[in-house]
Amino acid sequence: MRVPALVGALSRTRTSASLTDHLCMRDSALVEVQHLTKLFGNFKAVDDVSFFVRASEIVGLLGPSGAGKTTTIHMMLGLISPTAGSVRIFGKRLEENREQILQKVSFTAPYVLFPTRLTVFENLLVFARLYRVNHPSSKIRELLRMFAIEHLKNKPVSRLSSGENTRVGLCKAFMSDPKLLLMDEPTAYLDPQLALHVKEILLNMQYRSGTTILYTSHNMAEVEEMCSRIIFLNRGRVLATGTPIEVTQTILKENRTEPALREVFLHLARRQPNEVA
Amino acid sequence: MKSHRIEAIILRHTCEARHNLNRIAEMVYWPVQNIVVWGFFTVYLARDNHLRPGAVSFLLGAAILWGMFYAFQRDLATGFLEELWSRNIINLFSTPLSISEYLTGLIIVNLLKALLGMIAAALTAWVCYAYNIFPKSLALIPFMLNLALFALAIGVIIIGLIVRYTTRIQTLAWSFAGLLMPFSCVFYPLNSLPKLLRPFAWVLPTTHAFEGMRQAIQGGGFSTLHFAWAITLNALYFLLAIPIFRMMFESARSRGLLVKLE
Repeated sequence: MRVPALVGALSRTRTSASLTDHLCMRDSALVEVQHLTKLFGNFKAVDDVSFFVRASEIVGLLGPSGAGKTTTIHMMLGLISPTAGSVRIFGKRLEENREQILQKVSFTAPYVLFPTRLTVFENLLVFARLYRVNHPSSKIRELLRMFAIEHLKNKPVSRLSSGENTRVGLCKAFMSDPKLLLMDEPTAYLDPQLALHVKEILLNMQYRSGTTILYTSHNMAEVEEMCSRIIFLNRGRVLATGTPIEVTQTILKENRTEPALREVFLHLARRQPNEVA
Repeated sequence: MKSHRIEAIILRHTCEARHNLNRIAEMVYWPVQNIVVWGFFTVYLARDNHLRPGAVSFLLGAAILWGMFYAFQRDLATGFLEELWSRNIINLFSTPLSISEYLTGLIIVNLLKALLGMIAAALTAWVCYAYNIFPKSLALIPFMLNLALFALAIGVIIIGLIVRYTTRIQTLAWSFAGLLMPFSCVFYPLNSLPKLLRPFAWVLPTTHAFEGMRQAIQGGGFSTLHFAWAITLNALYFLLAIPIFRMMFESARSRGLLVKLE
């Protein structure tokens, strides 16, 4: 099956899955976040967030700016310590098994950059060593080819455009053949054609290797297309979880037949802060 | 600790040093320039018999060793600052890399850089001023080791403070050693300091390292007293540096500063 066809097929299957089915499969959770809370002074950035992600799922973590998505992802990487709650990945608690867990987890975000004086190859070689990748040079070449930036191999990162930088970040994320990919707006700086290419690669990876992906994006069409389930955050709290259609119905309180996440987004943005619970 | 992750950090900073002219300048240019200036100064003083016998050796030896101490401490801190300036910190710490592996890699690279700078300075002193520190190096090694240990302890504390208080205090990376210099008796003996300041100087391992260095260069043999003081003080500072660093790192993680550092 060609990958663009796969995008449509998977998306149709995803929207028809029910929440009950997912809850029944909770036992096979690859990621389990329980009552995660983060306070910065008096400000509650993440407020009692609980969710799970099963193996081989692509789950969207959505919400307006300041909803707590990035803080949640950073807590899942151990970069921020939670005020309360726990993160379990591959059935192990992150706090006690950070090294073991992160060997099989990758992260990418457009706001994370590389040392600018190092070339693309040198930067990727550093990460190949960190993950102890076998045959790092050929792996790097393969990834550069996959993301169509082979010609940038010997260029210093300082001379790359934002889109090229994002693709180097994606090469890094795929370096260790991760079991879990955490992606914070991975297509933010990419033009539509490249964004489509990246989506195809992600779906291909999930289809072939069963990679689990937790994905944040402000592009609602992309999320509807990619994700089997959505966790919708607002002001640090989980507002709704389920398939895109279930989330649409829960938040808009309307009986819809098609997912409308963009509408959900605008609906939340228009509401007064004290109305949004 | 996994050696491949330490190697990765060594690779990252070696590549940086290769591409960054600032790092090369810091590593070789400043130590050599320092010795050239001190060399001319000692030549001038020696010509007019303004110097006590052996003073040229003290001054040049002290300039070489202080250069090594300063470079190691500064480069440790600036090596970490490089990660912040390039916003690479999230990239690194979202991998299995632990902070102790990261620091070990950073220490190895910067110790090698400081030693290279010291060798360049020593060769300059030898070629330009016929001052050969190498025959005395065996007697000086224990004191050089103490200087490196103290630079390491200070470097670790400064990195911890930068992690916690962000780049607002990055100037500490360059200035902290300078603050210690007047009390470290680098170019003059301890008894030339005002009495009030001597207890403060006594608790600095650098003071004992330079006192020991002077005794060794003068041919007075190895100073067990100064070596014992220096190593004991270093052990204490090191024992202090580790929990301070851990406390700062955990506080930064709790405040979400690790992901906001730049």
